[in-house]
Amino acid sequence: MKTTLNFSDHDAFYEQLVAAYQGLDQAQSAQLNARLLLLLANQVGDQAVLAACIEAARRPFVAKVPTGV
Amino acid sequence: MSEPAIQPGGYALPEYAFAVPPEITEGRVGRYPLVIIGAGLSGLALACDLAERGVATVVLDDDNTIGVRGASSRGIVYAQKTLEMMDRLGVYERIRDKGVVWSVGKTLAGEEVVYEFDAGAASASRQPPFINLQQFYLEWFMVDRIVELGRTDLRWKSKVVGFANRDDGARIEVETPAGRYVLEADWVCDCSGVNSFVRDSLGLDTHQARGIDRWCISDVRFKQKLPVERWTWVEAPFNDNRAVWQHLMADDVWRMDFQMGPETDLEHVSRPEVAAERLRRQLGHDVEFELVWVGPYSYRAQLIDSFKVGHTFFMGDSAHAMSPFGARGGNSGMQDADNLGWKLALVLGGQAPESLLDSYGAERRPAAQFNIMTTRRTARFLQPESPAEKLLRDAALSLAREFPFARNLCNTGRLSNSFIYGKPPSSQAQKHLVRNASVGEAIQNMPVTLPDGKKGALVDLFRGAAAFVGIWSDVDPALSPAVIRQANACAPLLRMLELNGDALGLSVVRDRGGKLGDALGAAGDRPMFCLLRPDMHLAARIVNPSPARVKAALVAALRDGGIGSAQ
Repeated sequence: MKTTLNFSDHDAFYEQLVAAYQGLDQAQSAQLNARLLLLLANQVGDQAVLAACIEAARRPFVAKVPTGV
Repeated sequence: MSEPAIQPGGYALPEYAFAVPPEITEGRVGRYPLVIIGAGLSGLALACDLAERGVATVVLDDDNTIGVRGASSRGIVYAQKTLEMMDRLGVYERIRDKGVVWSVGKTLAGEEVVYEFDAGAASASRQPPFINLQQFYLEWFMVDRIVELGRTDLRWKSKVVGFANRDDGARIEVETPAGRYVLEADWVCDCSGVNSFVRDSLGLDTHQARGIDRWCISDVRFKQKLPVERWTWVEAPFNDNRAVWQHLMADDVWRMDFQMGPETDLEHVSRPEVAAERLRRQLGHDVEFELVWVGPYSYRAQLIDSFKVGHTFFMGDSAHAMSPFGARGGNSGMQDADNLGWKLALVLGGQAPESLLDSYGAERRPAAQFNIMTTRRTARFLQPESPAEKLLRDAALSLAREFPFARNLCNTGRLSNSFIYGKPPSSQAQKHLVRNASVGEAIQNMPVTLPDGKKGALVDLFRGAAAFVGIWSDVDPALSPAVIRQANACAPLLRMLELNGDALGLSVVRDRGGKLGDALGAAGDRPMFCLLRPDMHLAARIVNPSPARVKAALVAALRDGGIGSAQ
């Protein structure tokens, strides 16, 4: 999983992403999220990278487990 | 239209006579090399396989007919590897003649097809990818074949009511219409299904996980022609946007399978008038039909820790159970039998060490794990467990209408194919046409010209007693004397052939169409020897072979199946 900048134009990406939600209600926005997620995931393709991304995205919502050491 | 009612007309299942066993007539405890408990798909396949290989067995079944009581059918789809096994056992032609051959599957959401496959395009086997047939017909044909082979003691109305494992076998208590008796066995194979008494009496944990998903089958006979294809709706407008399966079986009977809500009253939805109304919503109100069978079901996943406990093997649903998606239950039970049959035949015949029997669980338990994982993924797609999951599925379905990649995400079942032994789940690709097969992979039943000049298929080399087939290709003729000596020394346990040529002076198997050479990886530019097991899985591929290396591969295959040691 890449954790340093990989966008060819990050500011343009963010502007376009935000604009995509304009005029959509909450349900439509959620649908857009899900469609975009699947489209992007297919661009990545590699299962190991996708698994790392899923884990990283989920990190704030997972209770920290003491390592026991 | 007449009042809806269940009309199982057209099915007249055979009834088999109970014969008083010698244990009762002679008042003695019989002892047998192998007792099979349960005459369902896996038990009959194992008995038939062993009979074909010349091994006598005793089969105990608590019923006196095939199938589940009544005219219901459990399994309906038989996959290529199962059909190839049935070809080897002499049952295939009856299956083909009675069943429905198909290869096209379609997944629909609403009125639209979102995913479509044709498994026929990637098949080189004499058998089609799939044949649909009511399970009891397949069992029926196997019973007929077993009786014809004449080596099997089929004991109907014989219910196992007591079981004890011993160091050298097992003691089995049987209840019959003529009273109870005891028999002993050196080896036992328990094929008695998901509620196995033997398994439970030994206290074996099944690690059961029950799903909340509920379905209701309606088997229906009607005159309207529908396409001979597997249609699966993820969201069917005529079923409150829940899933529906539509499949043709023999005798013009269609299997319609409706997903119900998790809170459904199963008794209500399986009433004939309720089932009939559901079918009218699907087929239109002017279509006349007969309900052959209606029945609700739920499913569970379970898997025991060891497929061999003492001298008792567990096979089919008694070892592993899963949801029906992808037809992995019956087909995997048959593959269990395909895997264990030759091993038992060789060990009972004194041709292989007992360690070979441990490879049954080592190979088939990972296959069961894979099947459970695969069916669980389908179930999860069909029954989203949260609004977030439903959102993702909606996105997959909407993208599938626009873009090819998303069609593959619409998972209504990954259909059963043969398992590649020794390979992790991520290597178990859904493919049928194999090039340069992995060690552990099954070779399809390719068309070949047999050593006697007749046109046949690969499976024809594997009929009769359990034997390996070794295929030499592109080998230096100077090796001929040593190879011929070894071929003579290893017969009949290993049948040595050469592919296409006659450089070595062995019997020749000729590739009709080049598919066998492709699968074996015989490219014409390197000397090679491939060792095929009696279940047609590749045990070894040796480049630059010598008789010493061939012997080592055979010894390994007899010791542990050959595949683990080849990794």
